[in-house]
Amino acid sequence: MTAFEGFLITGLVTGCIYALIAMGLVVTYTTTGIFNFSHGAIAMFAAYMFWQLWQGWDLNVILSFLLVLLVIAPLFGLLIEVLLMRPLRGASVDLMLVITLGLLLALVGIANSAWSPTVTRVLPQLYNGDGFRVGKVLVSWHELITVGALVAVAIVLRMLFTRARVGVAMRAVVDNPDLVAMAGGRPIRVQQLSWALSCSLAALGGMLLAPIQQLNILNLTLLVVDGYAAAIIGRLRNLPVSVAGAIVIAVGQQMAQGYLPNSGFLTRVQNIIPMIVLFIVLIALPQDRLKSATFADAVAPRVASLRASVSTGTVLVVAALITAGFLSGPNLKIGANGFVTGIELLSLVLLTGYGGMTSLCVLSFVGLGAFAMSHVGGSGGSLLGVLAAIGLAGGVGALVALPTLRLRGLYLALATFSFATVMDLAVFTQILGTGGNLAVARVHIPGIPTQSDRAYFTVCAIAFVLVAIGVLALRRGSFGRRLVATNDSPAACATLGVNVNGTKLITFTIAAGLAGFAGALAGGVPGSVSANDFAALGSLVVLLLARIGGINTATGALLGASTLTVFSVAQPHLPGWVGQLQYTLTGLAAISVGRSPNGFGGRIASLIERVRPRSDELPEELTSVNDDGTVGSVFFAEEKELAHAGH
Amino acid sequence: MPATRGASPALDPVLEVADLSVRFGGINAVSDVSLSVMPGRVTGLIGPNGAGKTTTFNVITGLQEPTHGSVFIDGKEISTLPPYKRARLGLARTFQRLEVFGSLTVYENVLAAAEFHKSWSSDPTPPVKVAAEVIDRVGLRRVANARVDALPTGISRLVELGRALATRPRVLLLDEVGSGLNPDETAALGDLMLALVSDGTAILLVEHDVELVMRVCAQIFVLDFGRLIASGTPAEIQNDPGVQAAYLGSDEIAS
Repeated sequence: MTAFEGFLITGLVTGCIYALIAMGLVVTYTTTGIFNFSHGAIAMFAAYMFWQLWQGWDLNVILSFLLVLLVIAPLFGLLIEVLLMRPLRGASVDLMLVITLGLLLALVGIANSAWSPTVTRVLPQLYNGDGFRVGKVLVSWHELITVGALVAVAIVLRMLFTRARVGVAMRAVVDNPDLVAMAGGRPIRVQQLSWALSCSLAALGGMLLAPIQQLNILNLTLLVVDGYAAAIIGRLRNLPVSVAGAIVIAVGQQMAQGYLPNSGFLTRVQNIIPMIVLFIVLIALPQDRLKSATFADAVAPRVASLRASVSTGTVLVVAALITAGFLSGPNLKIGANGFVTGIELLSLVLLTGYGGMTSLCVLSFVGLGAFAMSHVGGSGGSLLGVLAAIGLAGGVGALVALPTLRLRGLYLALATFSFATVMDLAVFTQILGTGGNLAVARVHIPGIPTQSDRAYFTVCAIAFVLVAIGVLALRRGSFGRRLVATNDSPAACATLGVNVNGTKLITFTIAAGLAGFAGALAGGVPGSVSANDFAALGSLVVLLLARIGGINTATGALLGASTLTVFSVAQPHLPGWVGQLQYTLTGLAAISVGRSPNGFGGRIASLIERVRPRSDELPEELTSVNDDGTVGSVFFAEEKELAHAGH
Repeated sequence: MPATRGASPALDPVLEVADLSVRFGGINAVSDVSLSVMPGRVTGLIGPNGAGKTTTFNVITGLQEPTHGSVFIDGKEISTLPPYKRARLGLARTFQRLEVFGSLTVYENVLAAAEFHKSWSSDPTPPVKVAAEVIDRVGLRRVANARVDALPTGISRLVELGRALATRPRVLLLDEVGSGLNPDETAALGDLMLALVSDGTAILLVEHDVELVMRVCAQIFVLDFGRLIASGTPAEIQNDPGVQAAYLGSDEIAS
């Protein structure tokens, strides 16, 4: 049966490309310990460079291919190592994610500016898709080269890692770079080599994939993410297993395309197969024991007191009321959108800033919120819709959290990302529609005007302030201490009787509910939503905005949202190519400012503390404590004597 | 569950470990170790580095799954319970490798533990009161407002001790809580332990300071290369030739 063989061959070829992508990821992960989220964006960028050299500037095809593969990509890898990754050694998973996600977004942004997405570009297959027949099936030279490339790379990598001195050094470096340095090795040289190699592999994958699929910035970046699933199947270590996984995924995908019904929900299934595989593999992976304590990258700012948060909030609401009088209609909408984004960021402050759980699916919950608001709130925008939005998002949040609670750091990020992609590609396109917008009414509160742009702007401002005060109150209270403690040392919490997973589940549910609340308000700003509003990439932007503003303060959420708002207001007044810079700037800002989890908000907080230091008064309960003669007081008495003796 | 403190006669062990073995890869970290801990006493668990003391603690608290063997509290097997459920039966510990809540203050560390305790016990005492009492008892008033990740190791160990005490444990596992303390401080720590056991608490103590161990312990178990090589009163242990051989060269035990 020719159709079957055709699907099989396309599947095998695509699988080979996923395998190349997965190998690149495994190379950097095993030698540097860094999971490069931007690997797909690098592959995409390389494909565009290839197009530029070959089609754009009419260079010879082989020369163009080799230039990208052997010169541009390795140089780019070196650059990444020197500028971004070297300072990351020993950094937390969290920081590593922010830097590589920032790079991903910046590359997507730069590609958007350089190769406008509105222009169609075609990258032909090598040898124009010519090929030969095997029985009844046409195999193109391009496909043969792809399979050959994988085989060649597999052989070279195998020899490199097992035979060559430098390959053995590469494996040693990740275990202990300092030891390698002491033994006369050069860990930095080795890591540079591995980044160069992995970028070449990404480029190879990208250049071979783009002609088979299409030259599209977002699609290529995300298609390559499918290769991540294969890398995880190999547990980011095992190359042969990753390759096998890649091929199984891709063949399965082709078969789904070939044999599943051609209409309705099932047509979307083939797009999300890799993501579903990724999700299942992640939750099935054996996890380490309860994590030991880690120390944060930076000391988190103190939590604002109730008085401070209420008074700051009041000032903000009054300022919003006054500003509303001056703003034009479009800017009122942008402002309202900013406050809604602020609520999304507050949900991340709770989940990631306090709880240490990295989520890459915020917008999925926002989308669910908008969906519930539209259906339950109806055209009148009933308050029931808001409750339904919180309930639906919180409920789905709990369902997502249940299997993923055991996951930490990178694995949790990947699991939430795969969830976001599934929602984006399969669910939202189905329930929200791609082109056809879903109407979402503005919430109707009896006795209070909410419908005009001006009124709605104020409503969103008040909503942001209330959520901020609530999140801060939660953090100051007993639950907040429990949450922070769970993040600082899960092992200690467990031995003190805390159900760590239960605490995480509650937190994830609340954060998802908050995002759902944001969604109920978000739809009302333009009056309708569509699937594009909740794309997986958007969730990355939201996370990076949170890092830029500061992920552990309410001030940070406000600043992160303001960054977006200022840019949106300015955009119409800027030349077109600058307007395309939104992703680039967000990515670059995340790479520079996002290094500290405190972000801009943290800098402001530390400035304020310097101007007006907090009183260090003892808690009231302790003022009458007299602990003379106890072990601690003996300790301090002697410290004091030492200090005196030193003078 | 109601804590029966102080009153219980020291007849039945409150904590028992039976035939415990833990294998990491090809290495036997712990082999066939059995020990019991009586209420109202300090029980010592000593041995050279790598003898399997911390691994035993991890198995007792549920952080490490044993290859073989069981753990009992009040004669009830708890081997299959997750760590938090064991804690709720009155088990608390400190860690050799610090596990403090670094981004909270000393007071908040202790208060959080008191709140945890309140959330799963029927103890009506307000957590702030428990926390104040613990701060008082351990002597952490001076650093109550300091973030723990800014404190020296020695005092951080005391924070862990205070945190464990805030859950009002019946069995307290202390993993080298005295390391980093000088003799005066160690003496005060010993006083605190004796005061705690006189209230009925059981303490299982891992400690390298032999003088402290000999002073506070009623019963001592000695591990070497994962095996139990001796058990008995401090005097018996000090005169045990096997123990002296295990410590040969370090002359720690022959004080």
